[in-house]
Amino acid sequence: STVTTSIPQNDVDALMLKVADEAGLELNMELPSNPASTIGSTVQASAEQDELTARLAKLRQTE
Amino acid sequence: ETVNGSEDIDTSMDMLQRQKYHHKRAFEYISQALKIDETQNSEQKEIAINLYQEGINELSRGINIDVWQGTGEKWIKAQRLHDKMQTNLAMAKDRLNFLATGKLSSRRPANLTIMNK
Repeated sequence: STVTTSIPQNDVDALMLKVADEAGLELNMELPSNPASTIGSTVQASAEQDELTARLAKLRQTE
Repeated sequence: ETVNGSEDIDTSMDMLQRQKYHHKRAFEYISQALKIDETQNSEQKEIAINLYQEGINELSRGINIDVWQGTGEKWIKAQRLHDKMQTNLAMAKDRLNFLATGKLSSRRPANLTIMNK
């Protein structure tokens, strides 16, 4: 005889939810530890500096 | 490009993150200054001057970070960002000087062309 047949379906569902919850929690906790995503990429930074150059140059022409 | 080991990667992340941090702050200050400057709102001229000054300070901090100690894609991009910040430091200083003194810059391209001939 096996023991597993005596476990009610409700308990199995509860355990599945618990496992899913823990997996979800761990997944969420990993996200902020990626420092590259907090400030943006260097490529984006370069594009933003280009924007400043263009706007400063335009003002200079109207002096 | 990451054969030097995890210690060097940590150092590079730290340096490059700091560079981006100062870039971001400079970008925010100078964008705000430009927004006022572009509308030629003379009432807010003092605010624009202060914002340019704060932006210049942040650009200087970003430029002071040594981005020539590593090799590879990340460092090349950081060096490009460094050069762009240096360009904008010079241009923002010129603009600040113009707003503060009301004088035309002596380094206008038109003047240079005449002087070179």
